[in-house]
Amino acid sequence: MASIKILIVDDSITIRRIITNALKTVGFTDTIEASNGKEALEKLPSGKVDFIITDWNMPEMNGLDFIKIVRSNPLYSSMPILMITTRGTEHDVVEALQAKVNSYIMKPFTPQELKEKIEGILKTVQVSTE
Amino acid sequence: MNQQEVEKVLQKAAEMKVFCEYGQRTIPVLDEIAGFLNEISPAIEDLKAVLEVAMMNIPKAAGQLGRVTEATEQASTQILNTLDKMVATLDQVITSVSSGMIASDLGVATNKMAGIVKTLVEKSGWDADIVELAEAWAAHLRSMKMSGPTSNLERLLKDLQDDCTEIMMALQVQDITQQHIGTVMGTIQAIAEELRKLTTGFFSVPAVQSLSINLPLPNDSEVVGEIERKKMVESLLSKARAGQL
Repeated sequence: MASIKILIVDDSITIRRIITNALKTVGFTDTIEASNGKEALEKLPSGKVDFIITDWNMPEMNGLDFIKIVRSNPLYSSMPILMITTRGTEHDVVEALQAKVNSYIMKPFTPQELKEKIEGILKTVQVSTE
Repeated sequence: MNQQEVEKVLQKAAEMKVFCEYGQRTIPVLDEIAGFLNEISPAIEDLKAVLEVAMMNIPKAAGQLGRVTEATEQASTQILNTLDKMVATLDQVITSVSSGMIASDLGVATNKMAGIVKTLVEKSGWDADIVELAEAWAAHLRSMKMSGPTSNLERLLKDLQDDCTEIMMALQVQDITQQHIGTVMGTIQAIAEELRKLTTGFFSVPAVQSLSINLPLPNDSEVVGEIERKKMVESLLSKARAGQL
């Protein structure tokens, strides 16, 4: 699999490190981080990001609002986005899907689950762009 | 006074009569309301006292919980730092072990050395230096048997690395509990604020001070286990992919 750059968006430094380490163990070593949606939007243009992993509950700008803004930009309309969150009601999942996340994973997760989700999304995005 | 004026007076009198009849019915109701208010007044006073204490304690509790989450985040960071060092050290050791002889080469070399030592002992007629070499070689073989072939060692080291990864993943609990604490404090704050609004007018209670941690209002989360929730999420994702949502 070609190397991809992943933007990790979460207000918890612990979770950002855990996600970074989990990605490393499954082969994704190129990562950058942001602590909320607003910071992530600032890093997106210059970061040459290929994939976004974002939390939901964050200060300043939560994950859902961040995703909606990303999707409203034609440059990022097909950016793969995975949401990682503690929120797990049916309403939450539906709301996230309506905001056009590609997939959703609940905390706590394992590195293998993360790998499967990322590979699944990349396959879907590849198929839709062919 | 003409007929029209008389009719007006009579109409007014009728209205007065209705008003008085209405008053006769409402006065007992008003009495009951007044009695009820008198009865609940002590309870409201008690509630006021409790709320005043709560208004002071809720921000303190929020502050303490905030310090708890800060402390757990610091501890998690330290654990992650240590784990990073362990994983890096294990990487170095695995590389060293891998770059040494592989098990099959080592086995061949061992057998060859064993043959050479045996020949030397037989030819030397138990020369002291040769005997010492044979004893050192025997000790080396014993230590190799104890440590096992290098492939076992590599596997053990990789198992240790996997254990480090498992410990790292378990630290997610810090973030999960922080969010649950925030939700609980949000619920408490919301209840206190509603009570304050309810009792406004009877007495004045200061508004709930803004708390030092982010307190989202609680979701109507279903009370189901983690595995069931993950299954529900995957089911919804499948429906979305199939265009059923």
